[in-house]
Formats: sequence, C-alpha cells, structure tokens
Amino acid sequence: MLEYAWMIPVFPFVAFLLISLLPKRTLSWEDGAGYAIGGAAGALVLSVLVIGDVLAGNTMVGDGPKFNWLVIANIEVTFGIWVDQLTAVMLLVVAVVGTLVVIYSGGYMHEEGAGRRRYYAEIMLFISVMYGLVISDNYLQMFIFWELVGLCSYLLIGFWYEKPSAASAAKRAFIVTRVGDIMFMAGIIILFKYVGALDFAHLFGEEGVAAVPNDMMILATALIFGGAIGKSAQFPLHEWLPDAMEGPTTVSALIHAATMVKAGVYLTARSYPLLVQAPETLLFVAAIGGVTALIAATVALVATDIKRVLAYSTISQLGYMTLALGAGGYLVVYADTAGGYSAALFHLMNHAFFKALLFLCAGSVIHAVGTNDMRLMGGLGKKMRITSLTMLVGAIAIAGVPPFSGFWSKDEVLAAVYSAGEFDSLFFLLWAMGIATAFMTAFYMFRMWFMTFAGEPRSDYHAHESPKLMTVPLMILAVLAMSSGFALFVGDGFGYFAGESVAELFGGHHHESAADILAHIFGDPLTYVSLILATMGILLAYKIYYLPGFDRSVFARGVAGKLQRALENRWYISQFYDDFAVKVVYALSLVADAFDRYVIDGMVNGFAFLGARSGGLLRRAQSGNVQRYAVIIVVGLCLLLIFMLYVAPGGRW
Amino acid sequence: MEVWDMLDAFLPQLLLVLFALLMPALDYWLKDKRILAFAALIPMLGYGLALVTWTIGGHWEPPETGIPLIEVNLFSGTFALAFVAVGIIVVLSSPDYIRGERNHGEYYSLILLAVTGMTVVALATDLVVLFIGLEIAGIASFALSGFSKKERRSAEAATKYFIVGGFSSALTLFAISLFYGVSGTTDIAAMGSQMEAMFSSLEGTRSVATLATVMLIAGLGFKIAAVPFHMWAPDVYEGAPTPISGLLAAASKKMGVAAMFKIFLVGIIVTKSDWDVAIAVIAIVTMTVGNLIAISQANIKRMLAYSSIAQAGYILIVLPVGTEYAVAGGLFHVLTHAFMKSGAFMVVAALAVRGVGERLDDYKGLSRRSPFLAVAMTLFLLSLAGIPPLAGFASKFVLFSSAVYASIDPGPSWLLWLAVAGVLNSALSLYYYARVIKKMYMEKGPEERVTVPKMTGAAILIALIMTIVLGIYFDAVVELCQEAAGSLLQAVS
Repeated sequence: MLEYAWMIPVFPFVAFLLISLLPKRTLSWEDGAGYAIGGAAGALVLSVLVIGDVLAGNTMVGDGPKFNWLVIANIEVTFGIWVDQLTAVMLLVVAVVGTLVVIYSGGYMHEEGAGRRRYYAEIMLFISVMYGLVISDNYLQMFIFWELVGLCSYLLIGFWYEKPSAASAAKRAFIVTRVGDIMFMAGIIILFKYVGALDFAHLFGEEGVAAVPNDMMILATALIFGGAIGKSAQFPLHEWLPDAMEGPTTVSALIHAATMVKAGVYLTARSYPLLVQAPETLLFVAAIGGVTALIAATVALVATDIKRVLAYSTISQLGYMTLALGAGGYLVVYADTAGGYSAALFHLMNHAFFKALLFLCAGSVIHAVGTNDMRLMGGLGKKMRITSLTMLVGAIAIAGVPPFSGFWSKDEVLAAVYSAGEFDSLFFLLWAMGIATAFMTAFYMFRMWFMTFAGEPRSDYHAHESPKLMTVPLMILAVLAMSSGFALFVGDGFGYFAGESVAELFGGHHHESAADILAHIFGDPLTYVSLILATMGILLAYKIYYLPGFDRSVFARGVAGKLQRALENRWYISQFYDDFAVKVVYALSLVADAFDRYVIDGMVNGFAFLGARSGGLLRRAQSGNVQRYAVIIVVGLCLLLIFMLYVAPGGRW
Repeated sequence: MEVWDMLDAFLPQLLLVLFALLMPALDYWLKDKRILAFAALIPMLGYGLALVTWTIGGHWEPPETGIPLIEVNLFSGTFALAFVAVGIIVVLSSPDYIRGERNHGEYYSLILLAVTGMTVVALATDLVVLFIGLEIAGIASFALSGFSKKERRSAEAATKYFIVGGFSSALTLFAISLFYGVSGTTDIAAMGSQMEAMFSSLEGTRSVATLATVMLIAGLGFKIAAVPFHMWAPDVYEGAPTPISGLLAAASKKMGVAAMFKIFLVGIIVTKSDWDVAIAVIAIVTMTVGNLIAISQANIKRMLAYSSIAQAGYILIVLPVGTEYAVAGGLFHVLTHAFMKSGAFMVVAALAVRGVGERLDDYKGLSRRSPFLAVAMTLFLLSLAGIPPLAGFASKFVLFSSAVYASIDPGPSWLLWLAVAGVLNSALSLYYYARVIKKMYMEKGPEERVTVPKMTGAAILIALIMTIVLGIYFDAVVELCQEAAGSLLQAVS
C-alpha cells in the first residue's frame, strides 16, 4: 500500500481543480461541498490503508519511488515520498480532522453564499498540500509544501477580506511566519553545503550526519527549528496565531489548531536524527517550548473572546509538544529511550482531536449566538445540549482528567521532562513551568465553559442547536477525544509506535505491556501532583465563574489588577511588535524607501532615460533607410576586425 | 537501392518539399483554405513525432547516413525539434490571420520550405550544405515577409530584408571561401583538425582566418540579429504578417545559432582565443542594446523584435564559454525561446485578427476583454523575462550558470561577467515586459469582449503548455540538451 501513498494528496487536489474550474451551473450541491467531502474522504480511506500498512511494520524510508526533478551538473534534486511512523501519525490527524471539518463546513458555511466555492477550493488545496508536506522525503520538497500551506493559511485567514481586521491578520500571519521560513531555508542551505544532498535518507544517514561539523550542526538545527517557531507559533513569534482567528472557525480548527501549526512540531520531530547531534539546540528547543506553554496559558486566563482563549490554548499546547521534543532529545542522547519523542507525538495526535473538537464547538456556539465575546454569552447549555456536552468532553480532555486523552499524553510529556532533569537541571524548571501550565489550562478551559454554557444569558440572543451536519462531526470528535488516549495501551503501546522512527535509527527500546505502563503511571507520585493541580484549576473556575457570590472586582485592584492588565495586553508582546514595527521598522523603511526612490529608482530611471535617449539616438540610426543599414554593417564589420586584430587579448599585433 | 539508403536521412526534408510543391495545387482545388493549413501540418507533425520519439523518448535510432555532407545526431535533432515546433505553431495560427489574403498555397508552401532550409542547416556537416540551407530558408522568408502585398509596410519590410539579407549572404559566402582557402576543405570537422595542424605555423594564414571569422560573425550575426547587424529585424518583424514575425524570431534566428555553434565550436575552435572576447563583447552589447531600445518602443511587435535581439545576446554567451554545459544551456534556451517567443507573437496575431491594434496602448484593459489571451501573454512575457517557474527561467538559469562554472573551471575568469551582464539585463528587461502586463491588467480600456480565434488559440495553448511544462519539469529536456551538446563537441575531440 505504501507505494500508493503519493496518491493521497491527489484526491483533494482533484477536488480543488474540479471546484475551481467547473462552470458554475455544473457545480451543484452547495457550491462544491460534495466534491470537497468526496476528495477528503478519498484521501481518508487511502490514508487509513497506508497507516494500517505502517502499523503492520512496513515503512518506506528512502527506498520509495522517486523522480528526478532537476539534474544540473552535479546537483541532483529528486522528489519522492517517505512514510514512517511519524508520517502515519500526521496522516491520521490530517485525514480524520480534515474530513470532519469539511463535513462540518457543509453546515457552518451554509449562509456564505457565493464565497463558498472559493472556501471549498482553498480548503481542498490546503488539505492536499498538507498531505504533500507530510509525505515529503526531502527538505526542499517539504519547504515547497511548507510555503504552500502558508499560502493557503493566508488565503483562508483573509477569507472575509472585505473586513480590514481579517485582511491585516492574514498579512500578519503570512509575514511573521515568513521570518521562520527564512531561517528554515537558511538551515537547509547549510546542510546542503556540507552534505550535498537534501533528502532525508542521505542527511540522516551516518555519512550525512558525519559530514556536518558540530558547530554548523548546531546552527543548522537551530535555524530549522526557527522555521518551527514561526509555523507552530512559538514564543517570540506566537502572536500571529490569535490574530489568525479572524478566519472562519472551521479554518481555525483545521489549520490553526489541528494540522498546519503542527507542521513545526512535525519538522522538529522529523529533524530528530540531526537534533540529537546538537544537544545545545535541544536545550534551546525545550526552553522555547516551556516558555511558550507558560506565557500563552497566562494570557488565556483573561481572554474574553472564545476563539482567542482557544488560540492561546493551542499555542500553549504546542509549547508542550516542543518542550517534550527538546527533553526527548536529551533522553535519546543520554538515556537511550525515545520516551519524550513519543510523548510529543502522542500529545500531538490527542491535541489535534480535542482542540479541533473545541474549535468546532466554539464555531457551533458562534454560529448560534453571532458573537465571539464570552461576556455576552452564558446559559447556552440548555439550548445547545449537544454542543455543550461535546465541548465539556473537550475541556475535560485538555484539562487532563483521566481517562480522557489529554491526561495520558500530558502525563507522558511531563514525565519525560522531569526525567530529563537528571541530565540538565534546567529541565526541572521547565517541568515546574509545565505543571503550572497544566493548572492554568484546567482553569481557563472551565472558565470558558462556565462563561459560555452556565448561568443566565447575558445578552439578547436566540440560540438554537446547530444542524446535524455540524453536530455529527462534533460527536465523532468527542468520542475520539475521550478515547484516543487509549492508543497508549494498544499493541506495543502508542509510545513505541511513534517512537519507532527514532528507535530504528538509534536502537534500544523496550517493550512494555499495558499493565506495566498503567502501573508505571499511577505508581509515580508526580502523576498525582499534576492531577491535583488540574482538579484545583477546575474547582477554582467553578468557584469563580459558576458559584454565585464571588466578587470578581478583586482582580481589578492592586497587584492583581496590574497583572490582569498585563495579561489583557498579552504581556505587551503584541504591542512591542507594533511599536517596533511602527517606530524602528518604519524608520528603516523610510531609509529603504529613500534608497529605493533615489538610488534604485534613480538607476532605473537613469537607465530608462538612457534607454529612451540612446533609444532615440539609436532610433535615428534606425531610420528605415536601407542604405544606411548596409553602411552600419560595414562599419560594424570594420570595427570588429580592428578589435580582433588589435584590441582583444587574443590579437597578436 | 544505394540511392535510397543515402536518402534515408533526408526523408523528412523530402516529405516537406513534396508537400511544399503540393500546396499550390491543393490551393487550386480546395475551396476551404483552412484545409491547406492542416495539409501543411502533416509532414511537420510526422517529423515532429519522429523527433520526439527519438530524442526524448529514445524509442528508435535514426539509420547511419551514407552521405558525408550531413549527420543525423541529437544536436541536429534538438534544433530540428525547435524548428518544427515553431513551424507547427505558425501554421496553426495562420488561417485566421491570412483569411483576407490571396495565394494561400504559396504561403504554406514557403513556410514548409523555410522549415526545410532550417532543418538542413541543423543537419549539415559541410559549409556548402550549410550555406544552401541558409539560403533556402532565407529566400523563403524574404518572400513570406512580403506576403501581405496590399500593405506597404509588408512590401517595404520584404525589400529591406532582401537587400540586407543578400549583403549578409555574400559576406557569409566570402567567409566560407576564405576558410576553404585556409584549410583546403569545406567539411566542418575536417576544417577543425586542419586548422589545428597549422595553428602554430603560418602567421599570415591566421590573419586570413581572422578576416574570415569577422565576415562570418557579420553574415551570421545578420541571421541572429546581433548588434550591429540587427537593424533590419525591427522593421521586418513589424512589417511582416505577425505569424511570420514569429517564425523569424523564434525559428529563423535559431538557424543562425545552429550554424554559429557548428562553425565556431567545431570548425574554428582552435582559434577560440582570437574571437572569444570579440563575441563576448557582441553578446553583452547585443543584450544591452536590445533591452534598452525595447523600453522605448510603443509598438508591441517592435518591442518583441528588440526583445529577441536581446535573447540572441544571451545565446551568444555560449560561444565564448564553449563548454558542453554551456552548449546544453544554449540549446535549452533555443527550445524554450521557440515556445515563449512564438507564443507571444501568436497572441499579437490573435488580437490583430480581432481588430486590436499593435500599439501597446491598444492592450489596455485586455484582461477584461479576453482573460485567456491576457493570461497567456503575461506568462509568455514573464517567461521571457526569466521568472520562475516558467521555461525562460530554467533555460536562462542553465545558460548563465554555465558561464559561472566555466569562469571557475576551464576559465578564463572574465566569463563571469557574461553571467553578470545576463542577469542585469534580465532585470532590465522585466521593466518593459511588466509595462505590458500593467497595461493589460491595471489600466482601463475598451470594454467589448475579444473572442479568441480557434486555431490561433490552439497554437497559443500549445506554446503556453510547453512554456509551463518546460519550466517545471525540464529534467528530460536538459538531459537531451546535454547529450546533444556532447554529440556536437565530440567531433572536436
């Protein structure tokens, strides 16, 4: 089955072509929703077959079909596919969430009218290139798809481009991620300089790894991780993601929660064979992840826009994954276990399901109420029973309550970070940040749920439950959010399923039974620390936002007030960028503008003037007089002869 | 039987000539003149199919030829491919354009003869055959450019083209006879080894060789429209029927390139140190002058004429660089330029059929009048400017990078400046290409729709597909060009 993996992106791409090219009359059923669902479902079926093959123990790493795209002199660039356990995890996420979101869109985008066609075409293009990104077998191919998903993200954030805020959010997302992309590209170029190849098989092989000097390896891996910082919205480039919520909620669920933002984590995981050669980079990765997790969680505490809460939550959870990857690298290097790596991927999968669920629930709420502001909601639980219950499932899952999925993977992540502390004590600090994040996550999630669904309506609205087309995907995702954590106990355990990609490269992993894993988890006192903190977070939210009689004005006074204002201003990071952009960049751009206007334009105008002038002069020669043409030929001939005989270095007189 | 054996290699040319002779007869019998175009396509499609299956597909090998004057190899095959492709595109778009004219039979007959002459040049290994090929194609194109007899511009163009062309032919012939005098042979490869033998001796002979080289540069420089032998080109391209302008810019010019590659890189490669700087200077002057004057043009056909003068400058880079990779780049550029330039001319032709003028200002607001033609024109122009991922970028990349590589490896290091000049000129050229795009997309013009003439549209579509395909998937073609370059240069070693 693996050799057909290249066909996975073809299904959505064909759907994209049909939707965008078919004449309007032929394109029936909600402007292409039918083709979109068909394309997504086709890719889902094929993905499941491929994943089944991977589960059976087959991989295609460097020995798949390839075709030469470019052979010039000694440069050879091939395109091919690479399917291993890591690929399978991403395929699963993209296939399941992609299909469900497209179905859900059938209901959500119903009122969009003529815009639907553009929407479905762009969504299908996105799904197609996202698959392409996941199955690429070299950095260049991956980079091309990396840029294409960025393009689709730009288009979809700016879907309502008449709205100035949406247009500027799209631009911001595009520009900020570009900073990371350039670092990514620089990293690729460094690797290419030393290894002379870009495909994973060469780069990750012993010779490839040995060809890069250590300091360059640190630089290259750090730069590649720079790409991940942009794409996965890690500190300090994370501010574009909350703004990206200007797009339709389905887009936020699919692109900005479940798939594209995972591309950075995927890239880091994919580059593991290189990263483990550079422990300095790993420490950097872990630190970025920890800081991101904490900072984003704090901002989520005070956000009042339901989608922004989820956006900051996404950033925070992505920070978890990055942290786990950093710590996991240490474990691979020093403890010879792939525990952290598999924890990251496990969390990646679980998060994709519960966060997509949360976003789609939020979409359902927004669809019903017509606002994003939680202060205007309240009391929706009675009117939107399915949405409120499925969202509760999502909130429990992300808060880390057993046996829902978030508990298992979050526990694995924190355990990995803690055990990496043995090799560098910075990890203890990062672990503490992770624990604090866990507490805050539980709090802000239930704050959001209580504010939305509990109590009495705080504004005048006529909510109703969403149509089946929307609630069915919610229920499916809720089941997944409840159960995907049990993947840990299936067969060899998810940990090894995902860890295999690394284990194969470095050897040394141990099989454990489900009972062992369970005993291990619940025999560890640290598990109870995070459990207690999560429970406290939920109870605190219950006390403040559900039980009557709590005076919330205490938050507005004194130190708490200062803190709240700092949080409401997103730690002033966004403001810093805006000031930076306005003052420094604007000053720079003035200089650049002057340079452009006077020097470059001057040159161009000079050229043009010269061109027009000499054009005029030469045009005079170009009189249309044929005798003159002959004269010019003779003069040219004579000049040439003189040049060759007397002037040119070959002339011997 | 032996005669047939010997004619095997000439079979496609015989077929072309046969159809060329048939055309006037068919014209006499047929009411619907479009059928003539389809008839003219038959031998070219057959030849093209054979060439593609041989050169790119590798499904068969041409038989060994018994004639010492020509050689069928990948080099000739690649050039013939470019000529036939342009021929097909030109013939396809002609019926729409020449509807109002008389003597359609002669028109197609002359196109077929021009293509015949060009392919003969591609095949020739002997200076005399080469010259005959040049003349067959030359005389056919003189007549073609004057085809619109009612139009004064066309007649004037043909007259100028004929006079200057005759002058240049004389120079070429003079050069050939001088080379014969120096080396005692007209066979290009034999001339190469003969010259090598006498390289160190006979000072006087060498200056005769230099004189011959200069005359050759002037004579063939006329064909490829290199500065200062380019004067005729804008007048003729402007005056000739637009499909014929396409034929001249995209194919006839390449015939000169084929001849130059053969003579300079095989026949007189020994004296390379004498002529490499001179040709490098001509290359840089040609691309710069072409691009500069193109900026100030108000007529799109003249602009395209100057643009193809500049393109000739790019291709001339190959001669001073002279490596196999450079020749491959030159061949690749010949192929891509064949599609993008003929495509651009065919868009002009399609618009002219619908009464849209040839001034740049007539193109205002074209994107709303005919989205297809506007998109096609935009892609052709961007490809000519060398914007990825279009064909023009890929071939310019190979061409310029060959100069960079050669400046490092066999040297001399000044070859690098050829690449620098090429890149700067590409940037300069974007200025006038972008101006057309701006007029089409951003400026307001007349509103009424322009329908695309069917056959011209088909020709444009072919050129467009090739312009995109050769920009994205060019591996097989670059490989072919490298092998073709090898088959040219192996005659030397």
